[in-house]
Amino acid sequence: MPLRPLDQIPVPPPQPDDDYRFAGPDGPIVFRGLKALLGAADVSKAGDRHAGLAAADEVTREAARTLLAGLTLAHLHERPLTTAAGRVDDVMRVNDDVDQEVYAEIAAETLGGLKDRLLAASGAEAKRLGRGLTGVAAAAVAKLCDVHELILVSRRIVNSARARTLLGAPGTLASRLQPNHPTDDPRGIALLCYWGLSIAAGDALIGVNPAIDTVDSVSAVLRLLDTIRRRTGAPTQICVLSHIKTQLACLDRGAPVEILFQSLAGTEATNLAEFDITVALLDRGHETMAARGPLVGEEAKQFMYFETGQGSEFSYGRHEGIDMTTTEALCYGLARRYDPYMVNNVTGFIGPETHLDNFELIIASLQDLFMGKLLGLPMGIGTSYTLHANSGLEGQQAATELLAAGGATYFMDVALGTDRMLAYFDTSGHDDQTLREIHGRLPGREFLEWCLGRGILARDADGLVVRGPTWGRPDQFVSGADELDDLIAATPGLHGFETAGPRPADAVSRRVRWHQAVGRQAVRTPLDPARLAGLGPLRPIGTRAATLEEHLAAPALGALPGAGFETLRAEPHRVQILVSDGLSAAAVHANVPEIVPLVREGLAARGVSSGVPLVARHGRVKLAAPVAERLAADVVVHLIGERPGGDVRASRSLSAYLLYRLPDDVRPAAAAASGNPGIRHEYSVISNIHDGGLAPVEAAATIVEKVTAILEHRAAGNRLEALLAGA
Amino acid sequence: MATLVGLDFGSTTSSCLVAAAAVRRNAATGRMELADVRERFRSELAFTPLAGEQLDVPGLEALVDGWLAAARLDPDDVIGGGALLTGLTARRGNAAALAAAVRRRLVDAVVAVADDPCLESWLAFQGSAAALSRRSPDRWFLHLDIGGGTTNVAVAKAGGVRATACVAIGARHVRLAIGTTVLAGHSSLGRAVLERLGLPLAVGADLGAAGVERIAAWYLDLLHALVGSATGGPPLASDPLTAAHVQVPLPGDLPAAAVDAAVTLSGGVGQLVYDLVAGRDVPGVGGFGDIGTSLARGLVDDPRCRDRWREHRPDAGGRATVAGLLRHTTRVSGASLHLPDAAVLPLADVPIVADLHAACDEGAVRGAVGLAARGRRGAGLRITGLRSAAEVRAFGARLADAFATVGIPGDVPVVLLLDTDAGKALGLCATRWGGLPMRLLAIDELDLPDARFVALGRPRDGVVPVTFHGLTT
Repeated sequence: MPLRPLDQIPVPPPQPDDDYRFAGPDGPIVFRGLKALLGAADVSKAGDRHAGLAAADEVTREAARTLLAGLTLAHLHERPLTTAAGRVDDVMRVNDDVDQEVYAEIAAETLGGLKDRLLAASGAEAKRLGRGLTGVAAAAVAKLCDVHELILVSRRIVNSARARTLLGAPGTLASRLQPNHPTDDPRGIALLCYWGLSIAAGDALIGVNPAIDTVDSVSAVLRLLDTIRRRTGAPTQICVLSHIKTQLACLDRGAPVEILFQSLAGTEATNLAEFDITVALLDRGHETMAARGPLVGEEAKQFMYFETGQGSEFSYGRHEGIDMTTTEALCYGLARRYDPYMVNNVTGFIGPETHLDNFELIIASLQDLFMGKLLGLPMGIGTSYTLHANSGLEGQQAATELLAAGGATYFMDVALGTDRMLAYFDTSGHDDQTLREIHGRLPGREFLEWCLGRGILARDADGLVVRGPTWGRPDQFVSGADELDDLIAATPGLHGFETAGPRPADAVSRRVRWHQAVGRQAVRTPLDPARLAGLGPLRPIGTRAATLEEHLAAPALGALPGAGFETLRAEPHRVQILVSDGLSAAAVHANVPEIVPLVREGLAARGVSSGVPLVARHGRVKLAAPVAERLAADVVVHLIGERPGGDVRASRSLSAYLLYRLPDDVRPAAAAASGNPGIRHEYSVISNIHDGGLAPVEAAATIVEKVTAILEHRAAGNRLEALLAGA
Repeated sequence: MATLVGLDFGSTTSSCLVAAAAVRRNAATGRMELADVRERFRSELAFTPLAGEQLDVPGLEALVDGWLAAARLDPDDVIGGGALLTGLTARRGNAAALAAAVRRRLVDAVVAVADDPCLESWLAFQGSAAALSRRSPDRWFLHLDIGGGTTNVAVAKAGGVRATACVAIGARHVRLAIGTTVLAGHSSLGRAVLERLGLPLAVGADLGAAGVERIAAWYLDLLHALVGSATGGPPLASDPLTAAHVQVPLPGDLPAAAVDAAVTLSGGVGQLVYDLVAGRDVPGVGGFGDIGTSLARGLVDDPRCRDRWREHRPDAGGRATVAGLLRHTTRVSGASLHLPDAAVLPLADVPIVADLHAACDEGAVRGAVGLAARGRRGAGLRITGLRSAAEVRAFGARLADAFATVGIPGDVPVVLLLDTDAGKALGLCATRWGGLPMRLLAIDELDLPDARFVALGRPRDGVVPVTFHGLTT
């Protein structure tokens, strides 16, 4: 069906904010406008608290919920949420593209009444009602539901989709294989594919987040996945999760873009400024795939894939005053326009600034499943965590058990739960099989037959599907031990293929958890000046993040100058060295003593003076800017700990951000090159500094050469590289 | 993608193999490496053209030109490879002219022209049995690459070659009319063996099945004597015939455990052994016009081998793989190097004059720099064990002092070859952060074999292709 042009979607004009009043025990509780009411009605989550939207206490929250429950759908519909400037953006506009017949039927229903109706309805009826709802309405109902209610309604709704294979049929639980590799090494990607397939994962899709988002590289990975699919015979579909423009260019070159992917946000501002997409671009992608996607002509009916997650709009500062649950539901309303093959939610990926702990993560995931299914989407939930949040494996697993009960269409398979490229943690294929066994689910029909044929799964004497003799054996897909060795040698984070039932063997789990524990400790380890004693005199400075919790939860505070800054004055040194813990003080302890003396020696040998190094606790990358301004330095070498992933060595990984403070006469050139007329600083970055990446001693030499080049060419970042390439 | 070229000039046949490879950092080890080595072109086998007892160099050049054209090679993409002159070909009087002809054609690439039997042994092992050996790191391996003219021997453990040897045992020293036992020709060494065994020398004479078996048995006895002499057995016979066959003996100090090494095989005869063991059809005596099938049957039936080749079998069934060969011929450096002037590359045949370790004192460093100063073509210093910044600074200062004291001509390249990731830092420290006027390169993250020469190609994708030759083990 053709997509309805945006200007033909009927959208009521924006209204001034109403005051919603509730008679509380100690006086009236007032919410100014629908956004405030929706924010306060939700479970309190970190992102909404930072945005000032969460209710201050339970009384306020229940007051908001009571008021919300009494509003009609027509009330919501007649007050479309707007941007800060009062405009209805394109995401909200698309959300209003509802089934008008259904909407007319329920417009007078209150949200509380709608919730009761959904709880009493069959799955098919709930799904029909969902077609009359915007994302805002779905989010409003979700805020009124408790855990049982979120699961009950989700469970009943069946949203299936068909690409090469059928996803989301009743009784199935699919798996989305994500063989990410930090350098897109085809050997590593192949091994992770084979491993996943050997544990019956990958029936929903095999999809790689590319490390290198170029047409050449993405095309190469697409062809690799296509080869693997054909070689193994696995009935599934493939995708490389690069930007939609890159994928369309790959398709133009004949690469097998079977499923078109794009990350979505719930506000037009985020989509435009951060994801570089518009509704028009998404429309073009959809139309292109419908006309000439590789699966056209097969049975495929759907071919789009979207990824979302609560809080991206907030973390980019472009949430327009709308809470995280509602912006997430607005994403679903946008996704619905394209009748996608799958939608994946990765709530928890960002970190503690949006979801502080396991409880927030679990509730958010259940809300997402409820809203997505109600809006008709084949929802997979990639409940995620990072090592700098208070969430972890147990919370994630509790969430997935509840989500499986709620009829999640699929979960992710990230090998052993550790993403080797994105430094976050997701579900594994072992988890997927465990959930299938606990909840009595099977892979999709075509994939099940393939697994039975290969002995990955088998039927027991009673005809029940059980794990088969080749389950967990990636070597079944390679020519011999030599090839397997070759693949293993290129893949980090392999802690063993051994299994115990559907789970990794305990020895494997112990290694995975050990690496996580060391990474988590790296975040929590306080920056210890004694570990830097060999560097000679240091100058401690502070940031606005007074505690570790503030530092982790509110990234902006670590970029603002705190105690000690007031004593800094302009100095004659051209270079200043700043050391910050960032997200791994352990990385600072491990590398900085190796780097700083050599950098100072090298700079001095080249006639460049540097000041006494500064050390900042709870610092973030942009702290270098006020340091450069206060000390009038040309260059600030900012050594800062990186966010730890699932590898002990990488938890000691440091970056060097080389800030160049632009002189007045250089600023026009920098402005022209960057497109930012207000530009004041340029950055060159040297990352992955650790024993196992760029050795610290080599990093020191590289820093000296790069600083010399910055000062000589009066440029940093892309402008410097362009000058060097042209030199 | 980078391109590797392998040229093999054997006793009887010659061929060309072209492979494509990616240069990338291994995310597991953090090292730069050549990955995804895939065969792109394989020529037909051609008879090695001869002009009397000499190589027909113009004929060989035409052959090479034809292959390179058929492979549609862009010379700019070629980063390395190898030209192997093996067996009898390497012993022809004008072998050096062939090597020079190859170098002329692949001038910018790092080409190892291996008329070097130790390198052949090393390559044969790396190309077929190295992965197997790495998977059984506690087991010793004896690898025999038995071809037409020579048998190259490698003794290895955990994927590393510990000793090599070369002996003139091969299928083509005595040639037979195909499918018969009638003598069709012989090499000078083959003639000597026939004489030793009292067999007829005239072309057209029938050696008989028993005669061919005796020849094969003599060769196998020599092979056992060679291996036995290095693993506690009696020394090799001192007669001239034995001495003429043993081109490079095994060192006599191999550990006792090597006596029971697992045996792996490659080369034409090696493949025949695995075919026989697998029950595949193998022609009878003289089936390939030489004594290869008899050597293979002799090995299979030899009780002294105690079936030690059945224990471990190379995945490629004894065929040295192109990928294996080419991958091990050319290495790549790490990505952070000291290379102030890339125009100095390529550098061919730089002699490696000294080995230094992080803990070396000033005297050792000055001595090594003194050796480097003597060569006009440049010199390589192999440096191991540098890790911490303190070690690099201290060692760099010692080098800088030695450079300043000894005085290296400004146009003579000195190449520091490091096993660790410290090339850029050491290069800068050793030149006093660029203050010493000299042409110093520091190339790092290398597996450093015990070789006499190193060649460096032009940088590709930020790394430098490196080839070692003149292996001494």
